[in-house]
Amino acid sequence: MSDQRNQWALEMSEAELTRLTGDMEAAHRETLPVMRATAGDLVAETRSGGQPSRPADPGRRRFLLGAGGLAAGLALAACSSNDKKSSNAPGGSGSPSGSAAKSSYTGDLKVVALAVALENQAVGAYQAALAAAKAGKLGKVPPAVATFVTTAMAQHADHAKAWNSVLTGAGKPAITNVPLSNQPATLAALGKATDVGAVAKLALQLEDQAAQTYLFATYSVTSAAGIATAASIAPVEAMHAAILNYVLGQYPVPDDFLPTDKAADPALLTV
Amino acid sequence: MGAERIDTRLLEELTEQSQDLNSDAVRITEEALGDFVDASREEQAQAAVSRRWWQRGGVIAGAAGAAAAFSSLRAVAATSSDDVKALQTAASIENLAISVYRTAAGLPFIKDGNKTVAAFIAKTTTQHQAHAKAFNAAATQAGGKAQNAPDPTYAAVVKKALPTIKAPADVVKLAITLEDVAAQTYTKNVSEVSSGDLRRLFASVAPVEAQHRATLLAVQALLAGNLGDLVAIPTDPAKLPAAAGSVGMPVAFYPTAKASPITEGAVK
Repeated sequence: MSDQRNQWALEMSEAELTRLTGDMEAAHRETLPVMRATAGDLVAETRSGGQPSRPADPGRRRFLLGAGGLAAGLALAACSSNDKKSSNAPGGSGSPSGSAAKSSYTGDLKVVALAVALENQAVGAYQAALAAAKAGKLGKVPPAVATFVTTAMAQHADHAKAWNSVLTGAGKPAITNVPLSNQPATLAALGKATDVGAVAKLALQLEDQAAQTYLFATYSVTSAAGIATAASIAPVEAMHAAILNYVLGQYPVPDDFLPTDKAADPALLTV
Repeated sequence: MGAERIDTRLLEELTEQSQDLNSDAVRITEEALGDFVDASREEQAQAAVSRRWWQRGGVIAGAAGAAAAFSSLRAVAATSSDDVKALQTAASIENLAISVYRTAAGLPFIKDGNKTVAAFIAKTTTQHQAHAKAFNAAATQAGGKAQNAPDPTYAAVVKKALPTIKAPADVVKLAITLEDVAAQTYTKNVSEVSSGDLRRLFASVAPVEAQHRATLLAVQALLAGNLGDLVAIPTDPAKLPAAAGSVGMPVAFYPTAKASPITEGAVK
């Protein structure tokens, strides 16, 4: 993302920025082996016939059957579009059927599939924001917002990759698009955005949705590796939300305890 | 910390909105804690039944059944004990954070400095108080004692650091350490506790500590760049340096390597 001259104005020394970026990259790399190991564990659990490492609890049933009202608060849906067509392009929704009953992803894998879809949705939204910025549709883009978008997008791509490795390891197809019934509304809302603030508000909704969905997953899935993975990603999405809140002029840590009222409903999945 | 740019009326409105949201979250957490209490009581009742069965003797039941009952009883006891320790350690980390933030709030360069930093410290203190209360409530309801002392390991770190604190950046640096330890510990605890309700509790607090850390990392970068005047709500996004958009979220997966062991702050 850049200003109209396609250049970023650095208000910090190059050396300081390089050092901070280096620190960030190193810290990021440190987490990847752990993540891969955890994903491997989850694959192994799934291959072993889905034997849970923990007893199932009622929360799981609530998660898989419902949370119907949870997603209702997602304001994206309110930014409705009558366009029900699906798109096969990157960032487009998958099957238009929306039939959860025919899903090839069941049990914990349904939650994993939902996670991939949410991550892809976020990546697609940030990609669309970058494209709109480059086309000059969002006005002047602050450099901090540009680096936020680039960094958050890369992290979401890492999350999607991790979750997809679980799906493919379990013999299921990877999800490379956004098979969510709210995707057309998301794309429509992005298309209407004419400034950075509007994009940031949409991004905040997606980050809140992701963080809260992972919180819900920690007490709703049965796989130990799945629980650990969700627990390690939820704080990162919450950090994204904190920075977005700050940029939007809002208090960065609004809740004492992360709520779940904006968690995504698995019924949003269309595959 | 540079010039003040805070709109106090807006901050009050935002605080009120935040408190409303918080009330909802607290209510949900209390419900979860109530569920946890019910589950604990149920487990204890089941353990008592197993114990009575064991005490009646295994003459009729046979050796295999007796061994299974004993194994079950031992598992319940051990798991509950670890849960209580994890909760007490979490409370000890919160107690230390509260103490540090309270101390920081009284320092002249905080008290008379940037109003947004002071407001953040005040708000963060109340959030850590809410966490400590929740962890201690869960610990006592599970049959353990409340932990009112600070985490001993990091209390030593704080004791060593306090004399070196001369400026807001020093406070921020120390706070980042504590928030990171809290977030890493709770992230790990999610996988270590025995019930969904406790997973929910830890998983609902870890992201909040991570958000504290994200905010502090951004503030640290601004202070390092002599841009303390941008530490404001609302800030001027156009003036923020590029690094402010990424420094607050340094990892794609929250690590747990620095997590405190569950026994670290347990009541002895």
